[in-house]
Amino acid sequence: MNVEAFLVAVLTFGCLFSVLTLSLNLQYARGGMINFGTVAYFAVGAYAYAIVTQEPPSGLDQYLIGLNGPWWLGFLVAGVGAACFAILTGWPTLRLRGEYLALTTFAFAEVLHSFLLNERRIGNGSVGLANVERPGISWADVPDSYVFAVAALLLMLVTIAVYRRILASPYGRAMDAVRDDEMAAEAVGKDVARMRFEVFVISAVPIGFAGALYAMITTLVSPDLFTAEVTFFVWIALVLGGERTMLGAILGTIALVVFQEVVRGIPFETVRSAQIAASVEHMLTGAIFVIILRWQVFERISFARSQAE
Amino acid sequence: MNSEFLIVDGVTKRFGGLQALGGDGGLSFTVPRGTFLGLIGPNGAGKSTTFNVISGVTKPDTGAVYLDGQNLSETRTPEIAAHGLGRTFQTPRAFPSLSILENVIVGADSAGERLGAVLSGRWRRDEPKLKEKAAAVLNRVGLGSRMTGSVASLSGGELRMLEVARQLVRDPKILLLDEPTAGVDPSLQGKLSEILARLHEDGTTLIVVEHNLHFLLRIADTVVVLQNGELLAQGSPQAIRSDEKVVAAYLGNDHAA
Repeated sequence: MNVEAFLVAVLTFGCLFSVLTLSLNLQYARGGMINFGTVAYFAVGAYAYAIVTQEPPSGLDQYLIGLNGPWWLGFLVAGVGAACFAILTGWPTLRLRGEYLALTTFAFAEVLHSFLLNERRIGNGSVGLANVERPGISWADVPDSYVFAVAALLLMLVTIAVYRRILASPYGRAMDAVRDDEMAAEAVGKDVARMRFEVFVISAVPIGFAGALYAMITTLVSPDLFTAEVTFFVWIALVLGGERTMLGAILGTIALVVFQEVVRGIPFETVRSAQIAASVEHMLTGAIFVIILRWQVFERISFARSQAE
Repeated sequence: MNSEFLIVDGVTKRFGGLQALGGDGGLSFTVPRGTFLGLIGPNGAGKSTTFNVISGVTKPDTGAVYLDGQNLSETRTPEIAAHGLGRTFQTPRAFPSLSILENVIVGADSAGERLGAVLSGRWRRDEPKLKEKAAAVLNRVGLGSRMTGSVASLSGGELRMLEVARQLVRDPKILLLDEPTAGVDPSLQGKLSEILARLHEDGTTLIVVEHNLHFLLRIADTVVVLQNGELLAQGSPQAIRSDEKVVAAYLGNDHAA
């Protein structure tokens, strides 16, 4: 196994998906909202980036719009697009609480998935948009994969900085109050509906950015990439790391990415051994989850750190 | 002109088949500015429902509540609070993930609760002032030494005082207290009646639901008596004490001397 490629992949996808986990952490642990449609905002970001940057349709293309814009415009539109989708989905659903919100957001994500699959004028349906443009940034001999790793790291750091700023302010204090007791919060003038809506929309923006970055890295956006599995991946990462701290969310995500990359890196001689490995992977995954959840490994590490601060 | 500060006008409310508030004409009474109103009545008389209707938690089926000319029944709860109406709850409510001091600070309307102010960091200037004010209020309610502690360490009576403190930090124009002395020991009750007397002097309008008549009739200047969701009597504590209907319905026949 190529150690360097492995580390770059872990850094890239670890940071990229950490952005999703951190956003979910903000929505769930601090905002008290269960969003089971995380992948939808990610997909909107990726598709928005592809549509803004790709060339107008030609030949066999079925999509309608290709703006041939610069990469940074695509990146910005990805964030704005995710926020718009959050406004569209949050406005009618945020009055719901708990598992009802979870079900509705999940349904929205499924609707979007189905829409992207069947409405070919958006992104060629199931074929998807291939050859998504990569920004032409290159420093001397530095390979693209390194640039993306650094970009993912930067995106994560900026996300952390913004979220920390929000949480450390009176706004964060009011968010905690709203999550703890909505009625008491309203009795001291906190606009519960407004705050929930704002948190929901704000936390969708970094997810949209992450979607754009993901599209740059894979150079392909297709409905296959944006299934509910992504949502579950992020939720599992959040549960693994513990929901109390941001560091926990990041540790959980990186652990999950490392695990996936390790499994992906194992070479197989025969189909049979690949099949065995696949079943062993499932068993191992289960065992690791049980161990981590039973002893709350990451939660302890990150909580001890936040106490020491 | 503004003597009628709070107007409850023909309010009715049904929960399922039960008429919780208002008979044929609905419940009506007015509260002049600066009044210390005691709201009493037997269990199930509709006191808490009246509170919930006034503070906007419950919307009336018919009728309306006006505060300073504004129709509260068409106003959302957080806006009613922003309008200067504070309330506590029958079962004290606190924010367990915040410290005791933060539980009080969060009562104030900080500029830092606007997203624009958060991102620009403008709120930092006001924070020390808020902290100071919250600490002073906590001292007033007798929780000054517990500021950094967690809410879980407070007793039921202390939680009540914490809730009062959270409202005091807002400087409400009208404050509604739902059974403030329930579970509160005599020394804290003394503090509470001092605080209420002081607020009354400062011109805050107070409405207090209370079963402890000894406590209430001594400090209130007007009393409204409810029974079965309807107004039974309204008057001064002396008049209420000697009102035969009230005595029969609420105080019991032992007091009817």
